[in-house]
Amino acid sequence: MIRMIIALLIVGLAASCGAGSPAPRYEVIYSPDNEPVSRTEPKPSPRTYTMAIVPKAMEIPYFRAANDGAQEAAKDLGVEVIYRGPAIADAGQQIKVIRSLIEQKVHLLAVSANDPERLVPVLQEARQEGIKVITWDSDTRPEARDFFVNMVDPETLGRHLMDTLALSMGEKGEFAIMTGSLSAANLNEWIHWIQVQQKENYPDMKLTEIVPTDDNPRKAYAAAQKLLADHPRLGGIIGNSSIAAPAAAQAVKDSGQSGKIKVVGLSTPLAMRSYLEEGSAQTATLWSPKKLGYLTVALAVNDLNGRFPQNGEEIRNVGKIRVNKDQVIMGEPLDFTRENVNQYDF
Amino acid sequence: MIFKPRLIRFRDFRLSTKLMIAYLLLTVLPMSLLGYISYAQYAKSIIQQAGEDMPEFLDQANANIDKHLSDLAALPDLLFNSEEALSILRRDSYQSRADLNRDQYAMNSYLSRTYIEGGYQDVVGVFILSKHRVFESSKWKVSGMDWNRVPNPYGEDPELGGQARILLPGEAGLRFANGEPYLLLMRQINDTDNRKILGTMLVAIQLSYIDHVLRNLERTANAQLWMMNAQGEIIYHTDRGKIGARDQETAYYPLKSGSFIRRGAGPSRLISLSPSEVYGWSLAYSIPLADLTRRTDLVRNVTILIFIVFVTITALFSVLFSLRVTRPLHKLSILMKEVETGNFRVDLPVERRDEAGMLAQSFNSMVSTIRDLIDKNYRIEISHKEAELYALQSQIQPHFLYNTLESIGMAVEEGEKETVVEMVTLLGRMLRFSVGNKSKYVTIGEELQHTRDYLAIQKFRFEDRLTFAIGNNAVCAGEPRYTPKFILQPVVENAVKHGLEARRSLHLDISADREVRDSGEWDIVFRVRDNGPGISPERMRELEAQLQTDELDRRDSGLGLKNVNARIRIMLGRDYGLQLHSRPGEGTEVELRIPELTSPGGPTKARGGENRG
Repeated sequence: MIRMIIALLIVGLAASCGAGSPAPRYEVIYSPDNEPVSRTEPKPSPRTYTMAIVPKAMEIPYFRAANDGAQEAAKDLGVEVIYRGPAIADAGQQIKVIRSLIEQKVHLLAVSANDPERLVPVLQEARQEGIKVITWDSDTRPEARDFFVNMVDPETLGRHLMDTLALSMGEKGEFAIMTGSLSAANLNEWIHWIQVQQKENYPDMKLTEIVPTDDNPRKAYAAAQKLLADHPRLGGIIGNSSIAAPAAAQAVKDSGQSGKIKVVGLSTPLAMRSYLEEGSAQTATLWSPKKLGYLTVALAVNDLNGRFPQNGEEIRNVGKIRVNKDQVIMGEPLDFTRENVNQYDF
Repeated sequence: MIFKPRLIRFRDFRLSTKLMIAYLLLTVLPMSLLGYISYAQYAKSIIQQAGEDMPEFLDQANANIDKHLSDLAALPDLLFNSEEALSILRRDSYQSRADLNRDQYAMNSYLSRTYIEGGYQDVVGVFILSKHRVFESSKWKVSGMDWNRVPNPYGEDPELGGQARILLPGEAGLRFANGEPYLLLMRQINDTDNRKILGTMLVAIQLSYIDHVLRNLERTANAQLWMMNAQGEIIYHTDRGKIGARDQETAYYPLKSGSFIRRGAGPSRLISLSPSEVYGWSLAYSIPLADLTRRTDLVRNVTILIFIVFVTITALFSVLFSLRVTRPLHKLSILMKEVETGNFRVDLPVERRDEAGMLAQSFNSMVSTIRDLIDKNYRIEISHKEAELYALQSQIQPHFLYNTLESIGMAVEEGEKETVVEMVTLLGRMLRFSVGNKSKYVTIGEELQHTRDYLAIQKFRFEDRLTFAIGNNAVCAGEPRYTPKFILQPVVENAVKHGLEARRSLHLDISADREVRDSGEWDIVFRVRDNGPGISPERMRELEAQLQTDELDRRDSGLGLKNVNARIRIMLGRDYGLQLHSRPGEGTEVELRIPELTSPGGPTKARGGENRG
């Protein structure tokens, strides 16, 4: 008995001796069950994706700017982006390009469609090959793609284009629209909203003609000259594609009617700068094609990772996007005028 | 076996000590152990609870802070709402200094309007570094800025991307005039349209907003709450002085999220950690364990108090109880010692009916039984001895009687009438002394007279061969002194017998003296000296050995000395008796020592146990 007590005391003494050591000791008493294993998100691409950005036409500055953004995103996100399209904005040539890309077995096709109908079969063919398809800039029919990356809300853009022209023309007079390809879905939707806005707000204005340019600068310039000749009372031109607006401004300038015939439209600041500064064009409206290219690639990577765009989603280096069913809207249009055109480098 | 001595010592403890130790072991020890264990468990469960709750609170606080910071991190986006601000930021070059100053003025006032006065109460300063221009606006005057210390002040930081990063005050060197602590939230300004980096925006955030979030967590004055990055640099601390310092132990913390106890220098502390999901820092909360268990201290103190009171009371009871058990035993042992010295007249009072009472009762009955037995045996022995004594003291040797009668006969034949008359008178007196007086004690004078009578008769027989002298010096103020009867005559008879066997003539000197002892008491000493042959040393040793016994021997007349010695010792105690002194060839002296007796009833004072009854 005594011996046991003494033994206990000795053990207790030995235990208490340990407490005097200077190095701090740690005794875990609680650790949450969901111990964070690692905070690094799953790698976006375990292997390198290859995707193709297909513009309406290769050499248009607008699409080249979009390619700049796409390549930037490709670098940021670690994917390979092939920029390849037809030389001119032609659906048939575009189909050929897409075919070659299918043979190349890219992982994803992002297409700015020259024709919403004619591209459907080849895109569906691509999808059967296991290639993901999205559209950007110009849509196809929904069944041919996962979603469409749109720049702006077509209604907003169409109404806004009408507003800028009406402001320049004093809300009265005849005007014409120069568009790209008559089959391009996005252009046609904008034209639709331009007309709606005109009918609702500007009864003194009259749309005389809608002419196609096929995004061909020479054809566009000729079309503009023909418009000026055909309609002597023409007061304004809306250039509904990035080629059409500078061509119209050049034609107005060449005819010596700068400032008299107002030119507004969709085009890049670089293409419009000189016309804006000398008064041959009043307002250019666009979005950042670089941003659009960047966003397209970012969303494409997400799509390859099985992630569909969400409304209000924050895309890094772009900002928040809106999603309306299967249509992504990048943001609001930008207006370029004589005052601010120098701020933009596309 | 080093414990053996202790073991033996414990065994040798007093019974009361053992009882108390047993009590302590059986009550105090288990009670204190039980109390300690339950208190320790209680305290431990409180700490455990706090350890589980705290990380959750911290997670919540972290989520609040993250949410708040991510709101603040979105502030640079406001720039894009202003065409003016954007156009200034996009400008690369200026024609003139005034141009630049105009832009700077416009931008600074825009920042003031938007951020400082824009309802963001935690924002105390906004700084934009763009293309080697600095735009700034702050609530208070600032100093010490060194923007070159900020990573990539004007350029692109690929790591940063669109993410916000937290800069510690030390990294920028910025100081507000009123010393307000702050955090810098750094974020790149991206021109998403042009795909260019316009610059870097730094938002200084007052730390008081963290105070606000954490206010509910800091429970006591000793608790500490801090926020640190992965390297342990302290971003925020409830002790403002520690902001910017480094928590040296971070690397050793056993976990990133959860709670643990830190023991070491200083008081032990409970530390809880919660990492931020977004910014990679951790919120840490540290509180001394003592503070957590403070609420239990009252319980503990009350328990200890009750325990002490209880132990005191029961210890008193146990002392009383053990004394009640051991005191009768102690008393018993004292009484036993007394019985050992011969006092059988002891009585242990029986107060109780328990084992101690039963023991006392048994002891009492044992002592009284022993006493009865002793009394009984002693009386039997005494009466037996008295019968023997009586027989001895009244004995006149038949041989002596025969010789005397023969002498008387011869004197009658010779016609010596006077001699006959005298001898018959002497003999008659002797017979009356031995037969007539039944008492055990006679006066010294009577005893000497008897001896004289005996010697006178013997002188008729041995005529000139025997001479004697008797002196009585043992008288005191006329009061008679007493002696056991018939002790002197056997000694004289013995001397005459042995002396005349070896010598032609014998002289005897007989005396009775009064002598004082060392203790102050008076003794009577009879001495019988002869000039006979003496006793050889061998015979002397034999005789002395025989004298040591108290036995009476009736038969052997040669042992007359032995009988006298035994009688004196039986009647008067062992201090008295007979002593022999002899020189062979010169004579023998026999000394009889008795106490001074003043009454015929024997000694007045009890001497030991022998003369009881």
